[in-house]
Amino acid sequence: MVELEIQVLSDRREGLLTELGCVVVANSFSLIRQRLTQDNRGAWLAMIVRGPPEQRLALEEMLGTHSRVLSFEAALSGETTAIAASPAKTVSPIAFAPSPEPAPVSEPPVVPSTAVMPDVARVEHILPKLAQDYPQIYPWLVALENSVDDAVREASLMLAGRRTGAWVYKRDYALGAKLSLADAIKRIGVPALRLLADIEQHGVHVHILNSPLCAPGVRSGCRFYGGYVEGLLSGSVAPKKVFVRHLSCRSTGAAHCSLEISH
Amino acid sequence: MSMQLSYDWLLVLLSYAVSVLGSFTALQLAVAIPLVTNHHQKTAAVAMAGGAMGLGAIWAMHFIAMLACDTGMQVTYDPSLTALSALVAFAACSAGLMIVGSGRFSGLKLLAAGTCMGLGVGSMHYLGMRAMMMSAILSYDTGLVMLSLVIAIVASMVALWLAFNLRGPWQMSASALVMGAAVCGMHYTGMKAASFYDNDGQLPDGYADGLRGGDLGLTIFAIATTLLVLMLVLYYWRQRYRSSLSI
Repeated sequence: MVELEIQVLSDRREGLLTELGCVVVANSFSLIRQRLTQDNRGAWLAMIVRGPPEQRLALEEMLGTHSRVLSFEAALSGETTAIAASPAKTVSPIAFAPSPEPAPVSEPPVVPSTAVMPDVARVEHILPKLAQDYPQIYPWLVALENSVDDAVREASLMLAGRRTGAWVYKRDYALGAKLSLADAIKRIGVPALRLLADIEQHGVHVHILNSPLCAPGVRSGCRFYGGYVEGLLSGSVAPKKVFVRHLSCRSTGAAHCSLEISH
Repeated sequence: MSMQLSYDWLLVLLSYAVSVLGSFTALQLAVAIPLVTNHHQKTAAVAMAGGAMGLGAIWAMHFIAMLACDTGMQVTYDPSLTALSALVAFAACSAGLMIVGSGRFSGLKLLAAGTCMGLGVGSMHYLGMRAMMMSAILSYDTGLVMLSLVIAIVASMVALWLAFNLRGPWQMSASALVMGAAVCGMHYTGMKAASFYDNDGQLPDGYADGLRGGDLGLTIFAIATTLLVLMLVLYYWRQRYRSSLSI
């Protein structure tokens, strides 16, 4: 048996322990202790878990790619490993680096780079306004874009999209059975996206025709739609995860913004 | 000689309307079953949905349709069989909704749930018919009886599929309209299968103690009112839930 100390950062605390506890148990680990705290970057969950050493990599991989996890650190006694789960999972779904072999000397925990992390505080600040004015939310999204550093702009838009999508799903589409990805796109994704923009859907491809966030010659706001679709569909096709790949954007000269949805 | 039946078309339409109202309430409760988090919530949701479907959409619809039907003779209803028919409808619908609402939705579950509910509709109907006490003998065309059961099962499956797989207004309205059609389609096909033969005025034992139209009307009124209240409470509660969700 090995004992791991895990620290997770998430954008919100609701249901975090339950969801990650399920991952822990699914990998034959048991939860010894846990602590949940909140700061301006998000919710921090510290867990001490115990389980078979051969399951350690699988557990770390599942935590690293979990939709609720923005970053996490996993440490064994005499070892500290830090793994940053990139919020831009749509581009690189496997945002996980395998842990090295236990090192003989302890190293201090590595703080995940803020360059790939969203500005959780500013997103949290804008979310109630998105909920209040939904679906007329573009002014708030533009305000969010302008209020965060360029380095975290896309990650912040994506987080805002994911949280908005998950909220819309719970509000309007949660009743009923789980759907296949194709059905979820057709019956949930398309009507929900149509409230925000003119779109065309062809199978797993969605074209956003006149995205106000992606005017030609300015910065791309497609990450918001990617996060929105992920948040919207993840609840319906669970336990599978939904990923959105950005194929083209109007801001870079394409005729329209294109997204590809997969799981 | 077989007796001719005639219908009050206003009551026929009312029977469909009550069936749709009951189906709407029941299916709106049923689609929340996959979201419940504990056993008590699940039991409550299944019982309420089964009650709205079994007692409202099926049982009340049947007796409104029976009030709409003029056989040309006085009819009363055996209280025990009438109560049993309500119980069967409630149990079958609860079982069907429990099957389709638990775990992952699949074709097999849909088949099982649709069969359960379709047979529940059929059992309720034929028990309700068996409860009739009058100076006539009842016989059935077997082919039409089978057809009535097939209509009930197939339309129940379609309604359940619509309710659990669509989203938005279609999920709410189309499933209720189809389920109402399932119940009414079964009932009126079953009535078409029935032939009433005059038995020279011989009344069965217990005829005088049977339930009359007035008694049934009061019960149906109570059920329809309960359905309406339940639907309004459900609507109010859902609105509150939606506004309480944090983003």
